[in-house]
Amino acid sequence: MNVLEVRDLATHFFTRDGVVRAVDGVSFDLAAGETLGIVGESGCGKSVTALSILRLIAPEAGRIVGGSVRFGGRELTALSNEEIRGIRGHEISMIFQEPMTSLNPVMTIGTQIAENVAQHWRVSWRAALDRAQEMLDFVGIADSRRRLGEYPHQLSGGMRQRVMIAIALSCNPKVLIADEPTTALDVTIQAQILDLMLGLKEKFGTAIVMITHDLGVVAETTQRVAVMYAGRKVEEASVERLFARPMHPYTRGLMRAIPHLDADAEIAGRRPRLHEITGIVPSLTRPIPGCAFAPRCAFAVERCRAERPVLEAWESGHTAACWEVARVLAAA
Amino acid sequence: MSAVIEDVTASRPSSLEALGHALRRNPTIFIGATLLALLVIMAAVAPWITADPFRLSPINRLRPPSERWWFGTDQFGRDVFARTIHGARVSLVIGLSVAFISSVLGLAIGLVCGYFRAVDAVVMRVMDGLMAIPSILLAIALITLTRPGLGIVIVAIVIPELPRIARVVRSVVLSIRSQPFIESAVSGGTGDGMLLVRHILPNTLAPLIVQSTYVCASAMLIEAGLSFLGAGVPPEIPSWGNIIAQGRTFFQIAPWSILIPGAFLALTVLAVNMLGDGLRDRLDPRLARRM
Amino acid sequence: MVAYIVRRMLATIPVMAVVAVFVFFLLRLAPGDPAAIIAGEDATGEAIAAVRAKLGLDRPVLEQFGVWLYGLVQGDFGTSIFSNLPVGRLIAQRIEPTLALTVSTLLVAVCLAIPLGVLAAWRAGRWADRVVMVFVVMGFALPGFLVGYVLIYVFSIKLGWLPVQGYRPISEGFLPFAESLVLPSLTLGIAYMALIARITRASMLEVLSQDYIRTANSKGLETRRVLMLHALRNASVPIVTVIGIGVALLISGVVITETVFNIPGLGRLTVDAVLKRDYPIVQGLIIVFAGAKVLVNLLIDISYVFLDPRIRY
Repeated sequence: MNVLEVRDLATHFFTRDGVVRAVDGVSFDLAAGETLGIVGESGCGKSVTALSILRLIAPEAGRIVGGSVRFGGRELTALSNEEIRGIRGHEISMIFQEPMTSLNPVMTIGTQIAENVAQHWRVSWRAALDRAQEMLDFVGIADSRRRLGEYPHQLSGGMRQRVMIAIALSCNPKVLIADEPTTALDVTIQAQILDLMLGLKEKFGTAIVMITHDLGVVAETTQRVAVMYAGRKVEEASVERLFARPMHPYTRGLMRAIPHLDADAEIAGRRPRLHEITGIVPSLTRPIPGCAFAPRCAFAVERCRAERPVLEAWESGHTAACWEVARVLAAA
Repeated sequence: MSAVIEDVTASRPSSLEALGHALRRNPTIFIGATLLALLVIMAAVAPWITADPFRLSPINRLRPPSERWWFGTDQFGRDVFARTIHGARVSLVIGLSVAFISSVLGLAIGLVCGYFRAVDAVVMRVMDGLMAIPSILLAIALITLTRPGLGIVIVAIVIPELPRIARVVRSVVLSIRSQPFIESAVSGGTGDGMLLVRHILPNTLAPLIVQSTYVCASAMLIEAGLSFLGAGVPPEIPSWGNIIAQGRTFFQIAPWSILIPGAFLALTVLAVNMLGDGLRDRLDPRLARRM
Repeated sequence: MVAYIVRRMLATIPVMAVVAVFVFFLLRLAPGDPAAIIAGEDATGEAIAAVRAKLGLDRPVLEQFGVWLYGLVQGDFGTSIFSNLPVGRLIAQRIEPTLALTVSTLLVAVCLAIPLGVLAAWRAGRWADRVVMVFVVMGFALPGFLVGYVLIYVFSIKLGWLPVQGYRPISEGFLPFAESLVLPSLTLGIAYMALIARITRASMLEVLSQDYIRTANSKGLETRRVLMLHALRNASVPIVTVIGIGVALLISGVVITETVFNIPGLGRLTVDAVLKRDYPIVQGLIIVFAGAKVLVNLLIDISYVFLDPRIRY
């Protein structure tokens, strides 16, 4: 049962230097209760995809130019402003990367959680505050009653992210979109927050879209993964399959770029080198006729540069957008 | 495996294209500067293009604007057009002089105060005190101490405007003084004077210029206000404020006497403000995004 | 918090001290003999001597300052040269119209300008924003008396809706009182409104680009709530600061506005006193105006603590 279906989503930004095709035809499904990871480097369009789902792109900056986002039988791109506001924070919630700046400094924690509840559930403020306290307990913040009256600057980064999660889950949304939720936190806090998210997911049955550039986070938390590059999805598979047999050259490059501890090489006196993917990301202001990764790809042939690869299911549940998958797998 | 790095060097535009480009990107500077230039030219050639602004002609008093008198006449039959154009000379002279003098003095004070902390404490208190007194009152009070005259008016307006410029310069100096490149210059043995003049001063020029345009606009408004109240330029000299003041009694039947010089004043202040805003946006893009 | 407030109050003392010193030495700054200046251009030697004796100008300077200051803190602002009435009484008589005018202008300006600034920031780049910015730019360029006369011309002379000049105290009824203040308030307030609208817009623009506004939007809150509760409160510190600074504009403008509209307040008193060279009145007025400005700024400083919970000195 798919709770969210994205088809050929395209979001463009209209800047002084031209049209930036930040999201250029992305499709994926999210099943109820599942955790989907979206992985890619900075600028690949993963955040813009997330913002597009909730229509949070500022109209002066850009807009969704094509595609569909279906949620609960409704077409999100066609909803009125009032209707989409009803969905935000209520059925689909989002948390962001920077907990330090994502909370309003002049409002209390309690207010910021309660207003979400009051807005969508139409309950009294008192009831909303009670629910806010409940949420603080759920996310593991001690002394919740007192904390309701505190301000964000009195909390640490990790605690603020917990508050963000509390806000996001306060109305039992069906989908939680987490945009790099742990990137700005210390490693130890990262683990706590991820555990918290998974625990709450178990409890409430929320589906999570986990956006990150960190393959470690992907490995730990997700069930399916989509890999994005230059505004396009290039591969999708279950997390086990993706790590075991990556098909797209870019995904392979990413996997190889993870630093390994090579004990044998060290003993032998050789310093193992880090692998990199040579070249740079293409500019998104020019339309790219063929595969976006072709300029950097060791397997690229003429067809790759001319024709944009289609996502094909090379194995059950494992799709990749590449004309040369067979060669890639053979060379592995 | 070749890395693909796109070649983004475009061909250089011709100077005409560059001008057009600059014009489109900074319309305020151009509009303001052009307007101001026109007004200055108009003021400069005033004696040659207008009738005698002092000529009394009682039989022609209070005529509305017409072919002969473009802006009509006042209660003494004087040509309002001539008076208005001549008034521009006074107002522009005052505005520019005040801006220049207060810039020079404010720069000196700001540099010294920002750099030498001992002086700073005392002088800035004095500046605060001066700023606490509303500028028109301060100017009026200073003017009435002596015989009124153009020079006195200029001095009286410089004094309330001075603290504003001194503060801006001082804050720039304070923020630069703590920067690493100053430290390295000091450790290299650069003396105070050299430091101030060669390293710190150039950084203050941009905000100084922007502020001085605002001071110019403000000075013209204050002068007009003073003259309007009868405490400014002597009534024989036609400044816009004087013309308006003299037009008060017959305002209901001859509004052009007030409205037209007033419109000119507003236009001039507008031009100067636009110039200042445009310069500010150009010289400090960070501020521009906010404002 | 109390410590902060006390410290802010103490900080006003040096400023007022400078004002007092300046005001006192005002006369003595001028070239020439203060007594001669007061006595006027064509005064005889005896008249000058009489003035000197009357004002105690023959005493040592510091003694004069001490005497004057002592009287000042007791509320004795000196005596008018021309009318021989205590300056304090003259000021008290004329203060009502000026207070009414400035307070009404402040209220009108704040109530109009802040929403305009919020609107301009919300609709940044679109025509609503451009209209507001044009208004702002005009507001800074138009001299007070021009605005006043234009308004009088349109609304009093041509349309006859409002009185041309004059002031009706509130004792004569609220409607006449209000009517007599409409045009003067608008005149006085235009530059002030422009200032407030501009800073509101700038401050709101900065706030609206912050992450917590993105969070508020992602919660699906109503736009009005996001703008007013989430954004404006964060933007308020610079806005309130400018409201305080702008009071100086109001005080300067009062002098001109009262002259244009013939309102018998402190502004007119200032003009008359200055033209007649009635220095004790001028001195007293400068102190009153400066004191008002300092008081307003003090209140603004104190208000910061309530606006931003991060400021806890």
